Amino acid sequence: MPSGATPWPLAFRATTGSMRLPRQAWLLAKNDLRQELRDLELVATAGFFTLVVLVMFGLSFAALGRSAQPLAIPGMLWLAVAFVGALTLTRIFDRERESDTLRALLSAPVERLSIYLAKGAVTLLVLLGCCLVLVPGLVLLFPAGAVFAERPLTTAVLVVLGCVAYVAVGTLFAAGLAQSGGKNVLLSVILYPLTSPALMWALVSTRALLEGHPDLNTYLIQLAALDVLLVALGGVLFEAVLVGSTGRKPARERGRRRR
Amino acid sequence: MTRQIPIVLLAIAAVVFPLSVHKIFLETGIERQLGTAQKIFYFHVPMAWIMMLFGLVCGIAAGIQLRRQSRRAEAVAIAAGEMVVLAGLGVLITGPIWGHASWGKAWTWDARQVTTGLLWLVFVAYVLVRRYGAAGSDRLAAALAIFGAVDVPVIYYAVKIWKTTHPSNDVVGTLPPEMWAALWPALGALLATAIALVAVRARQEMIEMDVDDAWVRVDELREAAKGAAS
Repeated sequence: MPSGATPWPLAFRATTGSMRLPRQAWLLAKNDLRQELRDLELVATAGFFTLVVLVMFGLSFAALGRSAQPLAIPGMLWLAVAFVGALTLTRIFDRERESDTLRALLSAPVERLSIYLAKGAVTLLVLLGCCLVLVPGLVLLFPAGAVFAERPLTTAVLVVLGCVAYVAVGTLFAAGLAQSGGKNVLLSVILYPLTSPALMWALVSTRALLEGHPDLNTYLIQLAALDVLLVALGGVLFEAVLVGSTGRKPARERGRRRR
Repeated sequence: MTRQIPIVLLAIAAVVFPLSVHKIFLETGIERQLGTAQKIFYFHVPMAWIMMLFGLVCGIAAGIQLRRQSRRAEAVAIAAGEMVVLAGLGVLITGPIWGHASWGKAWTWDARQVTTGLLWLVFVAYVLVRRYGAAGSDRLAAALAIFGAVDVPVIYYAVKIWKTTHPSNDVVGTLPPEMWAALWPALGALLATAIALVAVRARQEMIEMDVDDAWVRVDELREAAKGAAS
């Protein structure tokens, strides 16, 4: 990593050894959080969007019978998460792109992995904030959702695990799209098929929770294992996707003609 | 020499495929339970295997592309990705026809159907990103292919928890020898065609990259000449 020539904040350089990565990730995340606290842009837009989606669910599915609800609620929950997640991910990297700071971030003397972790953590926080509106909303709208209120801890674990899986995939691809001069339409094209296994696990677990299925804990553990897998894969690929390995090929990218 | 290989493969396929059709429809007996509809099995299964194979090839080639910046691997990944979409389309068309005949329902949301459908969607996304992505999205597409390959078993297992009506792997294992004999030529012909198409497409992609490079070089030379003149 280059150092010396550019006077980077001491905070980035002072740390060494095993604490380096978490500390850098925390500093980067703090930066994003501070920006968020100043204008509340992400939380306000994503929260409002969640509310609108919730109202639409209420309007469309209010007449749903009690027996059909355990099948429909998981779909509503995770579809809403998928939509809000795509919105948040687009926005969080647009911010970097508007002032061309993503490039600066990538050339900064920090581990690339910490950028991935920081962006992922902020997105996760926004998503969880939205779930604080979404889950109680579903409890109020649908009688079958009362299980969420009766078992708040399990519900919280489930929501966190599902959101982590979504964010792990989403952060990688949103960052890649922002870096490549992004067409954001492509984010949804990529994100929905790729996150479908994670969302499907979350769906299975949520239904198990609502129906009081005995295998719920197994599903949750498997979902956690999937989280670990996706975060690891995202972390491994992040640098390769954003920066590429050394060497070849700026020429071709520049010359690549539009098809 | 290597340039002749696709032509040879296509020639072999052109001979073997009519023979295999003859074998399937005229020499192999009609399955007792499923009747004539079972014949679609000889095309459905090879296409499904080709789809899986090239999905794997695409994922591995994409990994090599990311790691070594290899142009050849990139070209192979693109060609294999397109082959997955093509073979997947075949699987998704023949599958429901067979399903309609044997289960009475074309699409039952069972594990293997959903897995195939989602895998197909992932590779359609791959092709879309390759085609419409901005400069630099080649690496992004590569990551997409890798994730796609990893997703397959996860989806499969997730849906399996709900329910499954698809014939299990044992069906292929316990086939009477007569049916195996009819399956191999069909598989060989389709696989040879697929490999030949992928090879041709990969070569085409390599040439395209070279042409792009040549354009960039021409531009650079032109600008250098302009600079020298002024």
